[in-house]
Amino acid sequence: MRSAAAAIGWELRQRHRWGLMAVAGYVLVLAVIRFVVLEDQRVHFDDVQSFALVVGVPLTSTFLYFLAMFSFGLSGDLAARQSMYPARMFTLPVTTAALAGWPMLYGTAAMAMLWFATRFLGMWPSGFDIPLIWPALLAASLLAWTQALTWMPYALPGLRVIVTVLWLCVIDAVVMVALEYKAPESVMLLILAPHVPLAYLTARFAVARARRGDVPDWRGLFVRLARIADVLPRRRERFPSPARAQVWFEWRRHGRSLPAMMLILLPFELSLLFIFSETPVIVFETLLAVLLTPPFMAAFVAATASRSNPHASDSYGLTPFLATRPLTSASLIAAKLKAATWSTLAAWLLVLVAIPLALRLSGTFPLVIDWMRRLFESAGTPRAIAIVLLAFTGLLASTWKQLVQSLCIGLSGREWAVKASVFVALTFLAIIVPLAHWILGDKVATARFLWTVLPWIITVLVGVKLFAAAWIAMRLHDERLLSDRTLVIGAAAWDVIVFALYALLVWLVSTLWFRSYVLALVAILAIPLARLAAAPLALAWNRHR
Amino acid sequence: MTAITVSELTRRFGARTALASVSLSLPRGAVYGLVGANGAGKTTLIKHILGLLRAQSGSVRVFGLDPVADPVGVLSRIGYLSEENDLPGWMRVDELIRYSRAFYPAWDDAYAEELRQTFALDREEKIRNLSRGQKARAGLLVALAYRPELLVLDEPSSGLDPIVRRDILGAVIRTIADEGRTVLFSSHLLEEVEQVADHVTMISHGAIALSAPLAAIRESHRRVDVRFAESRPQPPSVASVLRWDGGGQEWTAVIRGGSGELQSAVAGWGAHIIAERASSLNEVFVAHVGTSAAPAEEA
Repeated sequence: MRSAAAAIGWELRQRHRWGLMAVAGYVLVLAVIRFVVLEDQRVHFDDVQSFALVVGVPLTSTFLYFLAMFSFGLSGDLAARQSMYPARMFTLPVTTAALAGWPMLYGTAAMAMLWFATRFLGMWPSGFDIPLIWPALLAASLLAWTQALTWMPYALPGLRVIVTVLWLCVIDAVVMVALEYKAPESVMLLILAPHVPLAYLTARFAVARARRGDVPDWRGLFVRLARIADVLPRRRERFPSPARAQVWFEWRRHGRSLPAMMLILLPFELSLLFIFSETPVIVFETLLAVLLTPPFMAAFVAATASRSNPHASDSYGLTPFLATRPLTSASLIAAKLKAATWSTLAAWLLVLVAIPLALRLSGTFPLVIDWMRRLFESAGTPRAIAIVLLAFTGLLASTWKQLVQSLCIGLSGREWAVKASVFVALTFLAIIVPLAHWILGDKVATARFLWTVLPWIITVLVGVKLFAAAWIAMRLHDERLLSDRTLVIGAAAWDVIVFALYALLVWLVSTLWFRSYVLALVAILAIPLARLAAAPLALAWNRHR
Repeated sequence: MTAITVSELTRRFGARTALASVSLSLPRGAVYGLVGANGAGKTTLIKHILGLLRAQSGSVRVFGLDPVADPVGVLSRIGYLSEENDLPGWMRVDELIRYSRAFYPAWDDAYAEELRQTFALDREEKIRNLSRGQKARAGLLVALAYRPELLVLDEPSSGLDPIVRRDILGAVIRTIADEGRTVLFSSHLLEEVEQVADHVTMISHGAIALSAPLAAIRESHRRVDVRFAESRPQPPSVASVLRWDGGGQEWTAVIRGGSGELQSAVAGWGAHIIAERASSLNEVFVAHVGTSAAPAEEA
């Protein structure tokens, strides 16, 4: 390598060679389909789902991957005050202009090529006027600004995320407005052209500042707040047991994240009740969204909570500090489960306080009371109470389940397991939506067929679940991770809960719609077992490598 | 009774062998220095002792227990200071003490407070705001405050200033003063090990190069300065010489055992010994695990 440009390019290419090869493979497949299979005959997808599957999802995924790759975001700390530009590169005998310029040039060129490859090789909905250049320029601009803003040192932790997201949204909003007014390509180019040079100048300033260690610090402004927190009483008495100490550790480390998120989101969500208090449909949808927010957000919280070591560079391994706690792996997992329970209860307490308050203040309480009255009239009082309780318990359990079900992956400490599970989940999501649309759309025969075989599908899933649970129980027993007594009590408790749910479902749901054995299978599938039981096994695998 | 028994322990990471048939037995009540170059296998051996690595072949027993099968039984008797200094940054010093003492019934509050004051740790300060040296002191505090039966220090003073290193060595000395306690101390700072260790184990490329009491090592290794009549490109070969250093007419030999064989050989070469003294641990270490000047095939 004879130049800094070649060295920086080599590092990016070498580090991300597998990702780049996957992108190149995708483009190659598009090209083969276009020129070899179809012999340059254009085939258009008319339904949005198929288009999303073949073009939209890979394009968006690659766009996001390039954003992270060229801004060095995969190795930096997004929330830190310090620049995300790798500090090791600051000592290279290279000008700041080159440090900022080459990654930006490579990134913007990659974004442009991605667009042109998709534009000319992808299969697009018919009758859609595909723009030529401006999307490439938009992608390049978004990347350049992401680089500039993530490389900038900030005065407060977390400010980077806020500034970057807001600025990218502003650029997007301008483009959306221009599209709304059907701006021609030339106008779009005029709007977007200044962005890359401006972003370059900003990036150069950011890297220069980071290079000389100039990191502003406004944390002093919050010292008074910290002093208020200090005045609050802090528990100083002994923990009664190591297990209680570990629950406190987990609560402090992860448990407060979900309630804090709810505290931030609830005012925004519930404000819709005040704005649309006269529109019952929106009131209903808002309440539904609020009730679904805890389980939804729990999935995001779990992504960090299940990581063994979220603050270290090797975030998949267990820190020696935690690994050397004189506790069994099962006790460490039990602490995580208890902290998740407290987290769920705290989040739902906020929801249960906020909703009635917002309903009363917005004047929408009578509307909800009317809905409840109708439910009680149509279902009868006992069934209505059971439905409400079941729905609430289901939401509560779903929130907890979201928090804990990925522990067995995250705590395994294996990067390949974590990344493979993310890949499988994203692939499943990318496929399931178009597939569901295809099945439930106008293919009545297919839907009927699937409805007929649904019990068999559920039976297979139950078989897989029970087989996995049995294998995990044997491993837990063989490795002495759980005592026989704990295993028996756990299995008995699971049986009781499944049976109670089954009895409730039989009482609530007409057996004319579902045969009772299907309801039993549904109850078995609904109650967590295998993944939860696998968590101590995963932790022990990580802890004793 | 032994504190640690390692038998035929082998560990591979992919194609690389980190430990090759290591066997070691550390009786209780002494300070053991584990020395070796970076990547020699010191931390891998310590991780096996703590149960953080599972023996691929061979066995590890700490106080007669398997640290993987019985982590609670082993870890509750060990105080450990990690090279990684990975204390939770979000905790305050008093929270770290409150949290840590829950795990150890023998936690001594008075001793913990004494250590906190000795180490000048502010109880309200968050761990993340402490300097590297203060973090090491905080780690040492929670490793010592329950007077563990075995104290394991993995490169404790690496990258620390002399004052913190003195604190750590002081703590080690205090710990061994307590009857029946054992210290395993890994370091590549041989002067430190020489100050406190009773027994030294040298590890190189995953194998034990030398394991003996420090006094015996000192007694059995000599440094001999030899002046030859003429300049030599390579030193001569003598069985008792572990390593030759130098050039031209003056060469230094580190020998194992008595210097009798070398003295006879020197007389035969027409050279003479200009100085002889006990080897430092550093010289012994380099002689056993370092690369030496290749001796010439000459009697």
